[in-house]
Amino acid sequence: MLECNRMHKHGRIALRRAAAILAVSALALAGCGNSHGAGAQSPSTLTIGISLSLTGDFADPGKAAERGYQLWQDTVNAKGGVLGRKVALKIVDDASSPDQAVTNYQNLINRDHVDLVFGPFSSLLTIPSSVVVNRYRYAFIEPAGGGPAVFSQHLHNLFFVQPAPTVQGGMVFADYILSLPADQRPKTAAYPSLDDPFASPIADAVRQRFEAAGIRTVYNAIYPAETTDLTPVITKVAAADPDVVVAGTQSEDAYGDVRAMIQLKWAPKWLYLSNGANSPVDFPNAVGLKNTEGIFSSGDWFPGSTASGSDAFAAAYVKKYGGTPDQIDSTSAEAYSCGMLVEEVAAKTGKIDNATIISTLHSGAWPTLEGDLSWDSDGAPQGSYLLEQWIGGTLQAVYPTDRAKHTPVTEPLAWAAE
Amino acid sequence: MHTVIQALIVGVLTGGVYALMASGQTLIFGIMKVVNLAQGALVIAGAYLSYSLFTSFGLDPFLSILVTTPVLFGAGAGLQLLFLRPLREQDRQELSLLVTFAIALGIEGVLSVTYKTTYRTIRTGYADDSYTVDGYQISAVRLYAFILSIAMLALLYALLERTRFGRAIRATVQNPESAQLLGVNARSVAAVGFGIGAATAAAAGAVYGILYSFNSGSHYDLISRLLSIVILGGLGSIGGSIVGAMVMGVVASLVAALGTPIWSDFSFFAVLLAVLLIRPRGLFGASLRGAL
Repeated sequence: MLECNRMHKHGRIALRRAAAILAVSALALAGCGNSHGAGAQSPSTLTIGISLSLTGDFADPGKAAERGYQLWQDTVNAKGGVLGRKVALKIVDDASSPDQAVTNYQNLINRDHVDLVFGPFSSLLTIPSSVVVNRYRYAFIEPAGGGPAVFSQHLHNLFFVQPAPTVQGGMVFADYILSLPADQRPKTAAYPSLDDPFASPIADAVRQRFEAAGIRTVYNAIYPAETTDLTPVITKVAAADPDVVVAGTQSEDAYGDVRAMIQLKWAPKWLYLSNGANSPVDFPNAVGLKNTEGIFSSGDWFPGSTASGSDAFAAAYVKKYGGTPDQIDSTSAEAYSCGMLVEEVAAKTGKIDNATIISTLHSGAWPTLEGDLSWDSDGAPQGSYLLEQWIGGTLQAVYPTDRAKHTPVTEPLAWAAE
Repeated sequence: MHTVIQALIVGVLTGGVYALMASGQTLIFGIMKVVNLAQGALVIAGAYLSYSLFTSFGLDPFLSILVTTPVLFGAGAGLQLLFLRPLREQDRQELSLLVTFAIALGIEGVLSVTYKTTYRTIRTGYADDSYTVDGYQISAVRLYAFILSIAMLALLYALLERTRFGRAIRATVQNPESAQLLGVNARSVAAVGFGIGAATAAAAGAVYGILYSFNSGSHYDLISRLLSIVILGGLGSIGGSIVGAMVMGVVASLVAALGTPIWSDFSFFAVLLAVLLIRPRGLFGASLRGAL
């Protein structure tokens, strides 16, 4: 889910990106490209090539993915590797550039002859990379490319390692609301959304479900990506006084929504923010911890998750990188899960070639930190995200019931209760 | 009607904050005829400085201005000496666009490396407070920010109108050659003027950091708004930049609250284009040009 938080900024920083590409290219020409990990490997080594955004716009999530990949490498090698082959990751920097990512995968496959490849960060880089990877018939297990355009390519070798396509992030909130007894459901709803391919479609999908269920829309508007101040938008939402607000948000606009509601002294009974509120550190920093109470969002992995290997992952992560489980970026869990899938295919088939991975993953369900994953023929996962809610100062998984750690809280939002 | 008045309150308060940011921009243009594309980045740098002082030392962002304005004044004057002064007089106007854009990218790069790209917010104890007046909500932070902006603009006005240095600036704006003949050191005035412009960015940055979440890339949106404001008001006119900022704040707020937010920014530009068709020099560009 975090990929979309950073995507919309990308277009505005094209010049800086171009400069970064030039710098990376110059380094590569000089023979000192910023790659690390595997060099020439013995046949007993399983080499996995990855292009990651270690610099540029996506550097923060790119490094989070790198931590996840490397933690999996350490973990699997401590167990003796995959089918007795030690895993060696070859991670190269793409400077958050789609062009550089394409070049990286071409080099990884043609020049370095890596055995497998894993995906980069964001749909922006995954889409062109997946075309290259598909050309060479490599499996493309990728943790962060969940936009609609990824799946509309109809690539049979691609597997998005999150519970569902990104734009379906709000479906779990709709499921929860519509699971309530009819007399307890909201009667009216508002949908303020950011003009962004990873924000407004999420709110729009929920709106269609709600309207079909008889929940009346009293506000539905999209604001431009340049909108800094959400107060005028929330002024109009507050005037309509809906029971539920489903906001298609990224990060800073999610913070702006909450702050505007607080300052206008207005709150809906339910508040769902598609992104931004699912950041365990940044969101409370931006709006104040006490103001988070009761707010809903969607997510995939969280500390304490009941998903396969979750506790071991969190413990190993904290041991290797420090901090607390609450500070683990879910992107790390998504990247780590890519490696888990390779292990599971090897354990099931006794083989670890690309054709086997592609054919094997297309049948059955595969336990990962993201839950049990399965995919359609285009690589779109068939599950659903978790509904998360801020309860007692932490994000809790509250729906669906079988994966929940807590029941949803129905108290008024913090500032409404004051 | 309630929505209209609430939107007006928000628009006026927001306009006041943008007026402070734009005043530095227009001051620099007035003195040097330089369109400073780094003004947005300087505002964000000011926001980060206040953020650091707040998170590290608990210094209230409004008080942190006492520290950040001298720092950015020095940085602004230094940037002018290092990068703008060496430009040849006849090339300065054109090349300054590229140079100040390069400065903006440089500032962004330093901030990205130092603070990462995570959005930051300065959360003071009064961040959530608002006053209820006859059923209307007035955000305490916005009100304080507005008052600060007015105070800073008044200070700027006093500096320009009531001091010997202000007279030197105004003389340089009106006729650089004559000012030099009368003993005004135009080069020093330019460096100090750029420094003052950067200092206003420091004050505005503290306010911006309280009101909005920001990261190192936030200056792109900011600079487009600031340029629009100073063009609407008339390049070089501080009074014009105040009026331009108010128009921007009110129009954007009203359109978002009464119509649809997708047109709120565009509506301001529509006003801008309409004004420029009638008055190509902006609202105050003709009558007050050269008077700051």
